Amino acid sequence: MGATDMTPRDALMRLGASTAEAVAQVLEMFAPGSVERGEVTVIAEGQSPFSGIVAGSVAASVSYVDGVTGANLFVLTAAGVRNMAQAMGMPAPEEGESGELSELELSAVGEASNQMMSAAASAIGVVLGQEIEISAPDIRVLDNPDAAGEIYGSSPHATSTTFLIGGESCRLIQLVPRAFVVRMARALDELDSETVDDSRASGADGAAAGTAQSMALVEALTGIKVRVWAELGRTQLALSRALGLPLGAVVELDHAADAPVDLYVNGLRFAQGHLIVTDDGEWAFQCDTVGGRAVPDPSPRETLAMEVLQDVSEPTFGDDAEVVPVDEALEIVDDEVVEAEPAEAEAVTADEVVEAGATDDDTAASPTNDEEGA
Amino acid sequence: MARVLVVDDAAFMRKVVSDALASGGHEVIGEAGNGNEAVARFQELKPELTMLDITMPEKTGLEALAEIMTIDPGARVLMCSALGQESKVIESIKLGAKDFVVKPFQPERLLEAVGKALA
Repeated sequence: MGATDMTPRDALMRLGASTAEAVAQVLEMFAPGSVERGEVTVIAEGQSPFSGIVAGSVAASVSYVDGVTGANLFVLTAAGVRNMAQAMGMPAPEEGESGELSELELSAVGEASNQMMSAAASAIGVVLGQEIEISAPDIRVLDNPDAAGEIYGSSPHATSTTFLIGGESCRLIQLVPRAFVVRMARALDELDSETVDDSRASGADGAAAGTAQSMALVEALTGIKVRVWAELGRTQLALSRALGLPLGAVVELDHAADAPVDLYVNGLRFAQGHLIVTDDGEWAFQCDTVGGRAVPDPSPRETLAMEVLQDVSEPTFGDDAEVVPVDEALEIVDDEVVEAEPAEAEAVTADEVVEAGATDDDTAASPTNDEEGA
Repeated sequence: MARVLVVDDAAFMRKVVSDALASGGHEVIGEAGNGNEAVARFQELKPELTMLDITMPEKTGLEALAEIMTIDPGARVLMCSALGQESKVIESIKLGAKDFVVKPFQPERLLEAVGKALA
């Protein structure tokens, strides 16, 4: 395991392919159906990665920050910039205005590069096992492409990938320091030996990588465990009175006995319903209404997850709070029963019963923070 | 309908976001191109909602968000993230952002998030 048989060229090809795939995915969002991706080329050492660039081309450069050096240049012709800006929603220039590129058009390409490289940095970060941050883009018109080396510096390794956007050719150039290639090769070796068939992580299977990436955020959020509890009522007591409560004391709560009970998800009042007793003799909560919200459809789920995550400052009512993943909480709909048996919490789904148990186990022992930090 | 501050280093994105907000009846009361400007304009304009980009020069969106939330813990801030910025989004929510939209987005998605953040 961990045999170092990945050559620098292999590593560069994989880096180039992984980056190009992420870039193509974002380009496709801007210009559906009109993006073609060419082959990744590793530029031979000693050759200029900038050769063949037409004077007047526009280069948007995005660098990595924090620990990973190297730069990524997206180079387009003036016509390519205009195509890209229009694909992103800018109106076509009027007749007679087709000369100079506007600041807004250049800004659109900078923004596109930023979005593309953010996706690419994420894909490479998966390979390297670390998060890679990117800088804000630097956009310039290359009046003298021969001097590009002076602007962007030289690098022992470089890759180049051509894209066609609406028939106009543009190029992604990656300037890669030697240390980065070594790290990449080592990481790929480890990855290959561990997960030979995990095409997502290697970036070899573009479709899978794309889908995984677009789903990653929702997954990252919906996997977080949240506390769920039912509240019978509340009141306020002076600390002295609370400390001095004698046995048999009666503390009145603010809830009428026949009023609906509130179900909380991480401090957010999520549903109203009533308590029932299950066949196993445990309390359970049956939803009557879900907080005025319609049954969540896929689109607002991320927003609902946000609302749930925000309110982590509410009291959690100790061991009586149940822990279920956010996505399960979001699936809770009218007339559903929420039980409290922690051991079953992982398996709770729609139409199932979620109990509010008083004991903790592994699933209940670590509330939201551990998961959020992941 | 809210008074909104739009923060993004790309003039193009400021226009896209401003146009979308205007189409939903909101008023863009100011723009900023980096995190430092964002904090200054927030203090000056006291917007009801701030649209905040994450990757920006000088001061990032997350740094600006932290300062804005210190100035006004009740500030309503909506993050604009790109694909691949999942951990940044989670961090921003922990810092107090109300929600996020992932670029590139449709105007309807933006307005939906704005509506929820203002609710």
